[in-house]
Amino acid sequence: MSADRITQDVERGEPITIVIDGQQVACFAGETIATAMLAAGLDAFRTDQRGKPRGLLCNMGSCYECLVTDIATGRRIRACLAPAADGMEVSTRG
Amino acid sequence: MADRIECDVAIIGGGPAGQAAALALSGHGLSIVVIDEQPRPGGQILRQPPARFAVRGWLEERSYRPLKQLLGRFQALDDIHWLGSHSVIGLQRGSVMAMGPEGVTTVTARHILIAAGCHDLAVPLPGWTLPGVYAAGGIQAFIKGQQLLVGNRILVAGTHPLQLIIAAQIVAAGGSVAAVLFAQPRSAMVAALARHPLAALRRVPDLLATAAALRALARAGTPIHFGTSLEALIGTDRVSAAQTSAGTINCDAVGLCYGFVPQSALPRMAGAQMRPSGPAGGWACGHDDFMRTSVPGVSAAGETTGVAGAAAAAAGGALAGIGIALDLGLISLEAAEHAARTPRRDLAQHRAFAALLDAVADPRAYFPAPSADTIICRCEDVEQATIAAELPVCQSANAVKLATRCGMGACQGRNCEPSLLRMMAKAGNVPETGFTPRFPARPVSIADLLPPQ
Amino acid sequence: MERADVAIIGGGLVGCATAWRLARKGASVVLIEAGDINAGASGQNAGSLHFQIERRFLENGDALAEQGAQIVALSRHAVIDWRTIERELETDLHVAMHGGLMVAETAEQVALLEAKAARESREGLTVRTLDGDEARAMAPYLSSGILAANFSADEGHADPRAITPALAEAARGEGAQVRTGTHVRAITRENGRFVIRGNGLALSADQLLVAAGAWSADVCALINIHMPIYPVALLMNATERAPPIIPHLVQHVGRRLSLKQTHAGNLLIGGGWPSRLAQTLHGGFDLSAKAQMIPESLTGNLLAARDVVPGVTRLNLIRSWTGVTAITSDQLPIVGPVPRMPGLWVAAGGSAFTLGLTFARLMADAMTGDEADELSLLSPARFEHLNGFMG
Ligand SMILES: Cc1cc2nc3c(=O)[nH]c(=O)nc-3n(C[C@H](O)[C@H](O)[C@H](O)COP(=O)(O)OP(=O)(O)OC[C@H]3O[C@@H](n4cnc5c(N)ncnc54)[C@H](O)[C@@H]3O)c2cc1C
Ligand SMILES: Cc1cc2nc3c(=O)[nH]c(=O)nc-3n(C[C@H](O)[C@H](O)[C@H](O)COP(=O)(O)OP(=O)(O)OC[C@H]3O[C@@H](n4cnc5c(N)ncnc54)[C@H](O)[C@@H]3O)c2cc1C
Ligand code: FES
Repeated sequence: MSADRITQDVERGEPITIVIDGQQVACFAGETIATAMLAAGLDAFRTDQRGKPRGLLCNMGSCYECLVTDIATGRRIRACLAPAADGMEVSTRG
Repeated sequence: MADRIECDVAIIGGGPAGQAAALALSGHGLSIVVIDEQPRPGGQILRQPPARFAVRGWLEERSYRPLKQLLGRFQALDDIHWLGSHSVIGLQRGSVMAMGPEGVTTVTARHILIAAGCHDLAVPLPGWTLPGVYAAGGIQAFIKGQQLLVGNRILVAGTHPLQLIIAAQIVAAGGSVAAVLFAQPRSAMVAALARHPLAALRRVPDLLATAAALRALARAGTPIHFGTSLEALIGTDRVSAAQTSAGTINCDAVGLCYGFVPQSALPRMAGAQMRPSGPAGGWACGHDDFMRTSVPGVSAAGETTGVAGAAAAAAGGALAGIGIALDLGLISLEAAEHAARTPRRDLAQHRAFAALLDAVADPRAYFPAPSADTIICRCEDVEQATIAAELPVCQSANAVKLATRCGMGACQGRNCEPSLLRMMAKAGNVPETGFTPRFPARPVSIADLLPPQ
Repeated sequence: MERADVAIIGGGLVGCATAWRLARKGASVVLIEAGDINAGASGQNAGSLHFQIERRFLENGDALAEQGAQIVALSRHAVIDWRTIERELETDLHVAMHGGLMVAETAEQVALLEAKAARESREGLTVRTLDGDEARAMAPYLSSGILAANFSADEGHADPRAITPALAEAARGEGAQVRTGTHVRAITRENGRFVIRGNGLALSADQLLVAAGAWSADVCALINIHMPIYPVALLMNATERAPPIIPHLVQHVGRRLSLKQTHAGNLLIGGGWPSRLAQTLHGGFDLSAKAQMIPESLTGNLLAARDVVPGVTRLNLIRSWTGVTAITSDQLPIVGPVPRMPGLWVAAGGSAFTLGLTFARLMADAMTGDEADELSLLSPARFEHLNGFMG
């Protein structure tokens, strides 16, 4: 599995770092948390009741498969909508 | 509760429908708020890259031109209040609750327009909960909006011709498409086209876009198979292959493309009259010839009123704007009728084409078969067999929900309702309604609903 | 025409439990439900098993509080019924009786708690009065604003989704006939029997039990009997699933609040906040249409939850719904035979999730000729004056 950023003809925001489950993930300002995670090879956004990793589905805020926790606020946010912010810490473990 | 905004018109959705309505209403001295959960306007068809990005040659294909012009005119308006990154979670006559990064804002309005668009139909099949399996529209939105390719070998499968365009966009972005699979035979698609020759002729540009996509895929050597259906998706921690009726195809991402269903939570919550949407399922909001719903002070436009494409959405939005101006006493009935002529004619034409597209894309005979342990309700992990066991004793979708938790999760049943209703219909029970719509349309933090401590 | 010993109208907890008990005693029973089993209040309620005197009995003066206290006698039965039901039905109903706290935040409320505990001990129900720190030691999730709490060791909750279908299944297993999708439209008296008609049904029965919840007054009207039972629409809220934090039932003595965590992990927040019932064109209430949420109820309910369990604010609310239940003119349930019309029984009103199993057991006894003195407090006879010109 690997998601790749399209680089041709694209200028992104400045490089930033977010922290997913304790792991540093480099990404760019403007990207959603989902994009940052996928581009870093992290495609499990939660673990289901069977203990299986679950990916996101709709990438438009509708399916709620991408809920992650923003550690600073304790809020559950949709990774496909929420922008990554430098230093932000996120947990996929509820 | 963070905030309160009073306005004349609240428009939910900044896609083509919402934009066109805002344009029709602009210049009358009204206060207009446009609410969208995306940060920037555009809707699903023009999912804009973040303002921090610069993308040269973004969506340059000819078919996007009129929509980009519409968006440009909308963004140039100086009399609307853009409330981006806000999800509407509740709607009653005269007021809307919108959840944003800083809390919940209550927007009171004399008139509300619901232009919330549609979403991909979620199609359960064995293995579809593996990471790497996406709604095809989601893959496309990653390309358009985030400039990201979700895999190195993406399989696109379903029944909707939009998957050709998505596959072509993947290829154009430098990605590789493992294959495009149409579950229906080519003959079925041609036959459907032949039944609506006039509608097809009127929309030559759309058909040409598809033709261009076909050529691009051919150049890239992308296999396109007809009459080839998905049977299961395979992988341990992520998808690695698809089992199809024509053998196994290796891939690292899959886009499911069986059609679209209207975002119906808000009109249903408001109590508006709904009707069954197209062959993909779901519920479309009913309306009169000025796009007013059965609830006074609430109009609807765009895919919320039935999936008919972006041009229909724009026409419906313009018509809704005229209707709202009429209701607010800004224009006479005569002026409204006059102004409504063009958008009404356009809407009728686009809907005729949509009917053709529905016929071509009709997924009903081609849905993959879930197995007993396939998850139908993704939020609550409810398996096919669990639901099947209740079908003999439950007459309503609500009863199945209560008995199994199917539809009880965070997505409010958006994903599983069509699957459940299909299962019920197959068991000989065609319910007149789905789940009772409930507040909130999107989960909302309790802190956000309360005044600060 | 079909014949049965007993016809029961209403496929909620009360109807299904009574059908099961009666069938077990050998009666031929037909249960008739307009929609699906569990479609009414029984499937929409908060699932609290509350045995302490309810706040609603405490806030309207001594006389009502005294009356409310008498229910405690039935609550003692209910404790046993709930402790044994899973074994009897051989099903997991997610019954969790780990105790319940009724909390106070002000000095006045503390006084109310103390008076309540005194009444309860007179009626034979043991509750412990805890100060704020003791309460927090037992329930660390409670806010520092809690000054005192009454603790009842038997309280708890069960899964409203599970119990009623399980009872219907058990009733079928004992030979009762359960007919769903059958709306009763007409009831007549013929040769001393009840003839019940609706959706292809024509049934003649010796005895008729109306267990139609909020619809019970309407069903009684079909046979020209007044029953002072009124519908009320109540708000319920559910959060997303959370790790286990709250083993107890939490209630408030001075504010409308009930809070618990289900076996699945969701927090259920309710407590009797009103929604607005829909109306018919002629002005009466339309129970077939969806009731409308009142925004102030939502905020009021969530504020009470936050003040008692501050941790709730971190959770997402995923659903608010309205259930319609029955309240009687004196707040006590109406359970028993209607003197004006021999053979007619009613069971509706009150907290019949907690008490429904008990109503059903005692009623099945009474309907088959056994003693059931405990029900006399709830007898419809107290409203007989309303039926002086009816029947
Ligand atoms: C993922 C996806 C991709 C698509 N791609 C194409 C394509 O390439 N070509 C094509 O012809 N058609 C495409 N479609 C169909 C497309 O939706 C329509 O053609 C067109 O965008 C419809 O316009 P609209 O204004 O009705 O809705 P949309 O453009 O969908 O706009 C609706 C807006 O409402 C917002 N919204 C919805 N619910 C809420 C809420 N509760 N609170 C706040 N905001 C909300 C959404 O964020 C969205 O921006 C796609 C659809 C989807 C779902
Ligand atoms: C939101 C809410 C929260 C509550 N919380 C609690 C709690 O925590 N603890 C507690 O003890 N109690 C609680 N209650 C009360 C409790 O739910 C009810 O007292 C109990 O469920 C009543 O059960 P029932 O069988 O009498 O009625 P219902 O479950 O309402 O069943 C009546 C049935 O009769 C059927 N019916 C009506 N008319 C006809 C007809 N003409 N023909 C055929 N069928 C008909 C209906 O369809 C319905 O299914 C709550 C109620 C609500 C609404
Ligand atoms: S991926 Fe569906 S809500 Fe984020």
